[in-house]
Amino acid sequence: MLSISNLHATVADKPILKGLSLTINAGEIHAIMGPNGAGKSTLGYTLAGRPGYQVTAGGAQFDGQDLLALDAHERAAAGLFLGFQYPVEIPGVSNVQFLRESLNAQRKLRGEPPLSGADFLKVARAQADAMGMDLDMLKRPVNVGFSGGEKKRNEMVQMGILNPKLALLDETDSGLDIDALRIVGEGINRIMRKPDKAVLLITHYQRLLDYVQPDFVHVLADGKIVRSGGPELALELERDGYKDLAA
Amino acid sequence: MTDTPIKDQAARDAAAKVAEYEHGWSADIETDFAPKGLTEDTVRFISAKKNEPDWMLDWRLKAFRLWQTMDAPDWAKLNVPPIDYQDAYYYAAPKAKKKLESLDEVDPEILKVYEKLGIPIEEQKVLAGVEGARKVAVDAVFDSVSVATTFREELKKAGVIFLSISEAIREYPDLVKKWLGRVVPVRDNYFAALNCAVFSDGTFVYIPEGVRCPMELSTYFRINAENTGQFERTLIIADKGSYVSYLEGCTAPMRDENQLHAAVVELVALDDAEIKYSTVQNWYPGDAQGKGGIYNFVTKRALCQGARSKVSWTQVETGSAITWKYPSCVLNGDDSVGEFYSVAVTNNYQQADTGTKMIHNGKRTRSTIVSKGISAGHSSGTYRGLVRVAPQAEGVRNFTQCDSLLLGDQCGAHTVPYIEVKNPSAQIEHEATTSKISDDQLFYAMQRGLAQEEAVALIVNGFAKEVLQQLPMEFAVEAQKLLGISLEGSVG
Amino acid sequence: MTALPTRRDEAWRYADLEAVARLWPLPAPERILVPAGESFARAIVQDKGGIHQIDLVLEAGAEAAIHVLNCSGDYGRIELNVTLHEGADFTLGAAQIGGDAQTLEIITTVTHAEPKATSRQMVRSVLAGQATGTYLGKVAVAHGAQQTDSEQSVKAMLLDRTATANAKPELEIFADDVKCAHGCAIGELDPMALFYLQSRGLTPADAQTLLLQAFIAEVFEGAMDQEALQARALAQLGALA
Repeated sequence: MLSISNLHATVADKPILKGLSLTINAGEIHAIMGPNGAGKSTLGYTLAGRPGYQVTAGGAQFDGQDLLALDAHERAAAGLFLGFQYPVEIPGVSNVQFLRESLNAQRKLRGEPPLSGADFLKVARAQADAMGMDLDMLKRPVNVGFSGGEKKRNEMVQMGILNPKLALLDETDSGLDIDALRIVGEGINRIMRKPDKAVLLITHYQRLLDYVQPDFVHVLADGKIVRSGGPELALELERDGYKDLAA
Repeated sequence: MTDTPIKDQAARDAAAKVAEYEHGWSADIETDFAPKGLTEDTVRFISAKKNEPDWMLDWRLKAFRLWQTMDAPDWAKLNVPPIDYQDAYYYAAPKAKKKLESLDEVDPEILKVYEKLGIPIEEQKVLAGVEGARKVAVDAVFDSVSVATTFREELKKAGVIFLSISEAIREYPDLVKKWLGRVVPVRDNYFAALNCAVFSDGTFVYIPEGVRCPMELSTYFRINAENTGQFERTLIIADKGSYVSYLEGCTAPMRDENQLHAAVVELVALDDAEIKYSTVQNWYPGDAQGKGGIYNFVTKRALCQGARSKVSWTQVETGSAITWKYPSCVLNGDDSVGEFYSVAVTNNYQQADTGTKMIHNGKRTRSTIVSKGISAGHSSGTYRGLVRVAPQAEGVRNFTQCDSLLLGDQCGAHTVPYIEVKNPSAQIEHEATTSKISDDQLFYAMQRGLAQEEAVALIVNGFAKEVLQQLPMEFAVEAQKLLGISLEGSVG
Repeated sequence: MTALPTRRDEAWRYADLEAVARLWPLPAPERILVPAGESFARAIVQDKGGIHQIDLVLEAGAEAAIHVLNCSGDYGRIELNVTLHEGADFTLGAAQIGGDAQTLEIITTVTHAEPKATSRQMVRSVLAGQATGTYLGKVAVAHGAQQTDSEQSVKAMLLDRTATANAKPELEIFADDVKCAHGCAIGELDPMALFYLQSRGLTPADAQTLLLQAFIAEVFEGAMDQEALQARALAQLGALA
């Protein structure tokens, strides 16, 4: 589904990703772990097409398309979802309006008919229910006045509604208490653990992986993947830290 | 002036002669024009053409003489090229527009905008001036001619008077005489005086005591928008306990040969009456280099004369090269309420100086001002407002919120609020903020699938939401799209 | 300006023009230049009436804090014309306390000429009798003056129905990456608070003075002679009660 080869990227002319390669197949869940400053968030932003994240070498194929040739919204329509570490507040725009317009923009690009207001609300309500989010929160402006945990939960509701093929989830576990962590973890499994979908979890800690079992774990250090393994690698990192890996 | 009737007669003769010469015996009065330039004779000519009574002509002439002694205002934050008032026509039948056979002949740029606004095809034909479309479109909008008639009859049954101001001057002289110029005095300002002298036509509405106008006076206007003259004059009187919602303007881009528009709108609300006045202004703003475009110098004011009366102004201003406009409320009645909700978008080289005045004279009068300015390109937008509390006005409340959104670093956004309070029991609050669309917001929306321009439109609509919510439903949707269209090409 | 101002001159629209005429022509404004990286502080107690004009220029990274108590004379006007270069920081804390037929004015123009400068203005007016208190404050952000951070907070308290407060907190902005906010509130003392204090034993006059003291307290925070300013203001407030 996603194949990244020798990706180099800079932010403000500073090299961050330095030859990262990674292949993710449909049906797989991958986790990328690594110390602060390793380039984890940069990977998510670069793949999602954030302006200012400059690819200087290498490439990325997504579902047979050249991912890097697409604009950010085209990548979304192609089925790529980035769960933000710090979801952005948009005053005056309700979640419902935001998501309906986003979803219909994606559908339009894919040549699908738009969803009517009623049909959309049905989907939205179901996803909000599943994440234990009040319908009232769906009507509130996007992320405005939400707690850290509510924002992350809202990201999952958005993921459920937009129903992507590949989710890049950037520190979706940060700022969550134990109950919220479980709800978010279950949400990821429910929405994304399917044979035709895939997930890349970007995280510091093992704790989210207790709820979302990864098939592969990778260690990112200094802009490259320095080790890959199965779920046991995450436990090893939790125990020994990243110190030995930098070398 | 002793020679008034004679000159007037001369004007009538002149007009009749021109009509005969140009178009033969059967040509009707609509094909007339006055020669270029502005003199007392121009004023007499206009009055004669409209078959006005002498008191109306006198009123116009007084205004004209006053106007000659006045200077154009220079205090607004606008850069207005000098206007040659002698190099313009003040009375002309709408230029016989080239009749178009079909929409294929319409400028494709305009059609694109119609499409984006979602205007039905038959209405598009009317707006573009396609031959034979008019009747069809009226049918399309009102279902059939008989519905249009029903519409008029329903208003008549309710006792609502809804006429052109010219008709009203002839048919309801007492009402017009009582209120015309009462809210906006002739000497109020340069453009108001000019309007008084040469106003071409406009609208008159009277809602009798206790009547709730059975429909929004709105849909009607999309069709009639093309009648909107250069010097429009509107007078709306809501008698005791009545209610009316009035919508002027059009979301479709309107091109006009007249560079200067100087309308005057007067509203009067008596005891317990309420008027809701909504405007969508999308006159031609000039091209991307700032060439051409309308100068829109409008005087709008409401007199909340009665106790517990209420006037609410809502405006969405996206058009015109230069806008100069301050819909205001004089709150004379105790417990009366004034509201002003405004979104003003400027792009390219547009200039807008707009805001409101809330004059609190009555006790416990309240006002709310919400102004959202959006500036892009090389444009400049100014909020200019006044909140004044008179010494006798106990218990006044005002809340003002002025927010500016800047798109790009070549535009300007200005806020000039005047606050004058002479009574200690007043509670006046004013807040202003300035912001831009953050790159984070833009990227977040794009990551969810919106193209950049859609994302900008969405965020701008969120910014302007408090105001858009005040618009009547059917126009709110179009106004939202309009904001996006007006800002196209402004980011990225 | 050489000609005597009129009502049509924006900066003089609420002035006591007869008093201005008596003071005309004005001496040249006082000029203060704060060199790059240096600090400047000044407390001004306007206790004789008259017009005091200052042109203040802050070079890159300079700081200035001006504190003003505008309280005496039939007509007292303080005018500050401030230009901020890159990264400069300007603070104004001002109180105007007037009664009888006094006209007190604070007029500021703060120009953010270059990026990253900050300005904070806080003005509190307490007006009794037939007094008029005016704040005309313009913040101008020049083209290219990105990352400007500017704030104006204006409040006025009217003690008598014959007193007048005018305010014009104006923004003129030509850069998009800026934080400019202003807030303005005009009203009277909260009757409930007055009652609460009185129910604890304060006289009405003392209760009023105490609340007014709290109302203006923050403007002198951090002033070089904070205590002297506050004592002087308190005496002035006591005289109004």
